[in-house]
This record gives sequence, C-alpha cells and structure tokens, in this order.
Amino acid sequence: MSKDQVGINELKRRDFLRAGLVFGAGASALAAGYAAVPDAFARAVYAAKQEGVKNDKVLVMIQLAGGNDHLRTVIPLQDPKLHDLRPVLAAQSVPMALPLNGSFGLNQNMPGIKALWDQGKLAIVEGVGYPNPSFSHFESIRVWETGDPTRRQVEGWLGKTITKNYDSQGHPLTGCACGTTNVPGALRDLHATVSVISNSRTFGLQGGTRIETTAGALWKGTPGIYGALFDTAISTVQESISSVRTALKSQSNGYTDNAKLVYPSKTELGAALQLAASLITSGSGVKLLHVTLGGFDTHQTELNRHNDLIGYLDQSVAAFYHDLDVHGMADKVLIATWSEFSRRPQENASGGTDHGAASAMLLMGSPVQGGFYGQTPSLSNLDSTGNLKYTVDFRAVYQEILNTHLGADAKEILGQTFDRVPFLKKPGV
Amino acid sequence: MSALRLLSLDRKIPSVRSAVVPKTEGKTVEWTSPLAQEPARIAHLLRRATFGAGPGDLDAAFKLGYGKLVDQLVETPPAEPPPVPGMNGNSVDIGNLQQWWVDHMLASPTPFAERMTLFWHGHFTSDYRKVGTGQPYMYWQNLTWRKVALSNLASMLMQVTIDPAMMRYLDLATSTGKSPNENYSRELLELFTMGTGNFTEGDVRAGASALAGWRLPVAADNSRVGIFEPRRAYSGGPLTFLGRTGPLELKGVIDGILASDASATFLVTKIVHHFVSPAPQARYIRRLADEFRTSKYDVKTLMRSVFLSPEFITGQSYRSLIKSPIEYMISTLKALKAPQLSKLVLDADEQMGQMLFDPPDVGGWPNNEAWISSSTVMARINFAVSALSRLRNLPPANDLHKLQLDGVLSPVTTKLLDQAGDDRARWMIVLMSPEFNLK
Repeated sequence: MSKDQVGINELKRRDFLRAGLVFGAGASALAAGYAAVPDAFARAVYAAKQEGVKNDKVLVMIQLAGGNDHLRTVIPLQDPKLHDLRPVLAAQSVPMALPLNGSFGLNQNMPGIKALWDQGKLAIVEGVGYPNPSFSHFESIRVWETGDPTRRQVEGWLGKTITKNYDSQGHPLTGCACGTTNVPGALRDLHATVSVISNSRTFGLQGGTRIETTAGALWKGTPGIYGALFDTAISTVQESISSVRTALKSQSNGYTDNAKLVYPSKTELGAALQLAASLITSGSGVKLLHVTLGGFDTHQTELNRHNDLIGYLDQSVAAFYHDLDVHGMADKVLIATWSEFSRRPQENASGGTDHGAASAMLLMGSPVQGGFYGQTPSLSNLDSTGNLKYTVDFRAVYQEILNTHLGADAKEILGQTFDRVPFLKKPGV
Repeated sequence: MSALRLLSLDRKIPSVRSAVVPKTEGKTVEWTSPLAQEPARIAHLLRRATFGAGPGDLDAAFKLGYGKLVDQLVETPPAEPPPVPGMNGNSVDIGNLQQWWVDHMLASPTPFAERMTLFWHGHFTSDYRKVGTGQPYMYWQNLTWRKVALSNLASMLMQVTIDPAMMRYLDLATSTGKSPNENYSRELLELFTMGTGNFTEGDVRAGASALAGWRLPVAADNSRVGIFEPRRAYSGGPLTFLGRTGPLELKGVIDGILASDASATFLVTKIVHHFVSPAPQARYIRRLADEFRTSKYDVKTLMRSVFLSPEFITGQSYRSLIKSPIEYMISTLKALKAPQLSKLVLDADEQMGQMLFDPPDVGGWPNNEAWISSSTVMARINFAVSALSRLRNLPPANDLHKLQLDGVLSPVTTKLLDQAGDDRARWMIVLMSPEFNLK
C-alpha cells in the first residue's frame, strides 16, 4: 500500500544533511534583480541550487481527481461520432458549449477560463496520455505523479524537481500542497522537504511558543524508522509558520479593497487557491504548488455533477488569476490541470462514463502561448477497450514546464527527451 | 545502533530521573523493544487491536495474560451500539452519525470489534457525500460491517456487494445487463480482493455484466440489502471471468475471486500493514495467506494467527506503525478517561486527515507515514493541547511513561519529563510525544 516504507529507512536526518550546506551564495545580488518584488522571490532564488533555476517562476498544478471527462471540458463541436457514442451527454454539452473556434468549445460553466482563452492565456494540449494505459485510478495517478508509465519509480516528478534544483531544507515552502492533509505523490521525494497547509484558518500551534519548543524537541528526537519523517514534519512546521502567518495577514489586509475578487466558497479548491495566491504574493518563497479538486469519477449521473465541478474549477481559477494579476504577479505563474485519465467516449446506462484513456490538459496564465497543441484523437478509431488513443505523451508537457518555465533540466528528472510541445512563450518575450 | 532501553516496566524504578540515558552521538537510534515481557506485549496488543488502554484497563488485561486476552478479543461478540441520537425517519445527520460512532468507540466493552469495523470501513469503503444522507445507508453499512467483521470472506463479499451504501457508492445500483457499469466490478477486483496485475480488463467487463441487475431496496421490500431483478440482469451468452467460461452471477464472481491465490495474499498483506509491520517478510505473508485459504478465508482465524504470530511481537514490529488520527484521538481520550470530550474529535478529524464515513477516495485512507505531514503534526499537537485545557482534574501522571509508553522513551522525552514541573506538563509531553503517536 504505502510505497515509501523501505525508503524511509534510507533517509538521513535533516540536521546531518544540513551540515555543511552553505546558504545564501549569490542571493543578494540576484534578489536585486527582482527589486519590484519585495523580498518575494529573494528566498526562492536563495534556495536555488544551480544557475538555470534562479528565476522567479511559480508552477501551480491542479489535480482533477477521479478522471475528468475531457470530452465535456473541451468539447468537439462538429464530430457526429460524439453523438453516436454518447447521445445523452453530447446533446447536453455541444449546443451550450462556449465556442473557441469552429471545432471546439469549452463547457458552458467555463466563462472565466474562456476569458483567458480570449486573452491568449489558455493553451489546450489534446490527446495527452501514455502507452499501455492503466484504468486503475491509483495506478494511473501514480504514473502521472512519478512521470513513469512503467510504474517503477516512487518519487514524484515535482519532488524530484525540488531535490535536484532547490535546497528545500530550511525552505520548506519551495514545494507546498494547499488544501490537503498529506503530501501529494507528485511532490513526494525522500530528500525534498514539502509543506502541507490544509486550512489557513486553523494553521498554527495552540499553546504558544512553549508548546512549539517542546513539540519541536520531542519530534526531532524520535528514534526508529519514522525518526526522519517526524523530524522533517516538525521542522517544516517551525520553518514555515511565520511565512504562512505573514501570507495570511496579507490575505485579510489585501483583499478587502478588492470587491471583484470572489473565490467560490462551495469547494475547497477556491480556498486552496486563495491560500496559494497569498503565499505567492506575500513573498513566502513558494515555487511548486499543488492543489486538488476531487469528484470527477462520474460513472453515474455525470451531467450535473460534472457541470458543477467544472464550474468550481472555472470560478476558482478565474479568481486566482485575477488575484495574481492585481498583485502584478500573473506573468510569473503557470497554472496547469492534470487528471489520471479521461472517460470512455461511450456513455453507460447510468448516465455516466467509465474509465478512459487519453485526456486534454489545460495550461493557463500569462506565460502560455494560447491555442491548441497536440493532436485530437479520433472518435472513429478507438482502441480495443473502446477508448481514445493518445497522441502526446504527458511527459512532453512536463518537459516543457520544466525546461521552459522553471529553467530546470527536464531530462534529469524524466530520464528521457520528448518531442517539444511549445505551449509557452519564449523566455523573455 | 545504540540501545535505547531506558526504563523497564519494573515498578521498582520510581521516576524517570533514575533512567540512564545513553549517549546517541547523532546516530540513528532504534527503539529497544520491551516485548520480551508480557505486560509490554499486552499493552502493544491493546494499542493495535483496540484503541489503547485507559487507567484500569491494563490491570484487567494483565490478570488475563496474553493468550487469554487474544481469545477474549477475538471471541467476544461485538457489543451492539445504541441507537443514533436524533435519527429522524430515514435521513441521517452525518455529524450525529460520526459522533455516535466515536462515542461507541470510547464506550464499547468490545473495542476490538470497533477497531475491525474501522479497518473494514477503510477497506470496503464508501463515503456519505456520494451515498447521500436521505437514506440511512451509511448507518446500515456500519452495522453490517460490525456484524460481519470476523466472518468469512465469501459471505463478507456477498454482503458488501449488495450493501445499499456500496451499491450507490460504486454504482452497482444503476448497472444493467444491457449497459453494465464497470465501477464496482473494477474496484471489487482491484481494491477489495486481488490487486492490480491479477486480472484483465476483460475480467472487469465480464464481472460488470455478471453483477448487473441489483437495485436498491424500497420501503415495500422491507430489506436492508439490494434486490435482484432478473429483467435488469445480463442475459447474453457465457462470460469468461478469471479464466473460466460459462454462465456467471454474483456467487460465481465471488467463487472465481476466492479461487485465485492472489486474493488471500492481497488481503493478508493489507491486514499485516495495518496491524503488524509496514515491511513484512514475504514468507510471513505466505504463511498467513496459506492459513487463510485453508481456513476457507475465516477472518477470525486470521486475526488470531496474526496476534499470536512471533512476527507480531518482534523488535521490528515494536512502534513500527503510526496511529491513525482516529486511533490517536480515541487513545488520548481513553488515557485521560475523558469520553465527555468526544466532540473534540469531530473538530480535529479533518485537519488530521480522517473523517469517518468520508474517506478521501475509493482506496480508503492511506496509512502509516502518510498520516504525517506538517499540517497533521500541528493538528495532533493542537488536539492534545485542547483536550488538556478542557480538563480541570487529570488522572495521576506519576507512572504515565510506564502505563502509556511502556517505559521506553527517547532521550529527549526522558529529559523533558524529568524537567516537567507538574502533572499537567507531564500529560502534555506524553500526549504530544512521538512515542504516543506510534503503536
């Protein structure tokens, strides 16, 4: 069940890992280059291990957990085959779609993301998948999290990115999961320190500094196989607590002026992205963020449930983008959605769809070059399981994010090179 | 590896101060297992098979002895929970239902039944968000899981398949022979019995066809399980399922699953991860799985074997598991003898990552190291702080390190307990300690 159990023994304690590390080399000089961003990326830069990643870019991955039906997200408008395969769902999707061009439209509940499209800030990669797809949620999630379709790796691709490129020891907000209680697989790596902030309202330790000191000493001194895990967890609390408090203060101060900024209150995604925005705009040093919206496993009565979920996504992303924009940070932040698989083109008798394969990824924000990428899989040429055949390896999308957005070495993280999917503006443009 | 056996359970040692703290010099230190001694073995068993021991519980268990305690745990039929307070007609208030179960975990004279019910709730899982609260399905499921928790796997799988909450959670209720819904069939094979790699997509489809035709009970049925309607069922030709071809219905699906060696291995591995060790040896799993098959998949026999196995009480097993949030909170309230604080559990469960009747997904809750992150550590500490702040009088804390922590402490815990000025401070240290968070 838990995949890191053996590995946990290999992890050394932070105190020993940290010994000998020199922080701060070159930090002040680099920070000067970003004077417009008060202290914000000084710390992100501070934590960089190598030249290429000393930049102020931020990545936000949004997981649509359960398998998002991309045929009801980016909807083919002209393909009669869609109506043959899913008469009920297509009839309730195609006519009300928000057209992007002659061939595709967005789900009716996506006006916010449609506005990003109109500004050239939405890239859609069609046909994203991997060879021999798994129809298990957990296996396929692991494939996407580790960037390994052979299912041998256990470290997450973002976790690896942290380990290879940043000194997360002492900078636990470099990788941060918002709105959850455990470390998402994508951020997991034995040598990466990652923060998890489930709820901004209850963040903090009751009982004051005495409790904080006592708990710190107790948990740092844990013998046994969980010693390093406990040590890291409490150190992360201690090292992030003041940054997060500052961020939350900026949230309560900054947002009252801005009546237009409405995060949806119906799901945790809105709260998680609001927290993410406050961490980004307050200068906490966050770099790689992960949030999740669940509920996409629509085997049954898909129509209304899926519309609602897509609506939550749309409102949350629109508010998040707007938030970044009014803080002058929108050009630094790339937002990407991912889901373990899409759904089967053919609908079932329960008014839903079963597990599918190839999907579409949405990449949003000022860094993207708007438009369609990849190749739309044919609805007339399904595989033996009745599913779409993928045309773009999902790792090609990761590669572009790593190389072009973060300035990291994608090959070092993914182990191989893929054909480019150039959905990002060239750096400096 | 320096030894860290600081204190024995020997009552002659009066205080923590008398302990000799070995110099660790920064090396990874292992807990020194006290499990060679029966009292420590008993405390270990109660931490894992129940929700820990309060003042008084241990003495009663010591009198029984380890073997008889195992008998008592597995042989005593589960105490029936009281009715859910405020249950009005068919609909269920989820907060009431969660509170009801927490209270029963604290009060029940058969806590092993509650521990097993919680295990199965995380395995054959369903959540109230999808199942809904307009019908008492989640409540019924809890009663059913408690009833079948120690029966044999074949009858359990039958119950699980036609449990109304499950039928709704994994969509069997709307699956028809003409257009089967694969959701339940897939998870039955992948998550409930066999694990990935032991079945094909064809098996998922054949299973889905064979299992179609069940609908939810209506009032006139006067039933708490699904109703089979032949006209909604599959009426096509023979199906090939797990290598056998022929006519196939629910019983055939379960038989097919249990005929596969993978099923016992899969389930035994999960039980061992939850009750014994996160990294068991393959030959231990093989031995238990062989026994499980031979016993015709009798869960009671399996659990007895687990608790009586040498592997359960080895040094590698000692403190090798992390208490789940529910276990951490219930054991805290039991140690404090403070069931009146059970409402605090519902304030803290979300922040720790475990809300009853609301698992994160169809895989149930992850366990062990997945319970610990910066966020959940804070929530655990905050729970201890807030529980203690609500109690004017605390149980005596003199022997706390022995009663709750087997007298096996880290150097830091030893030092802090030594320096603690009063009982309240000692309670705080013990409840916050890594020792108390492990089992």
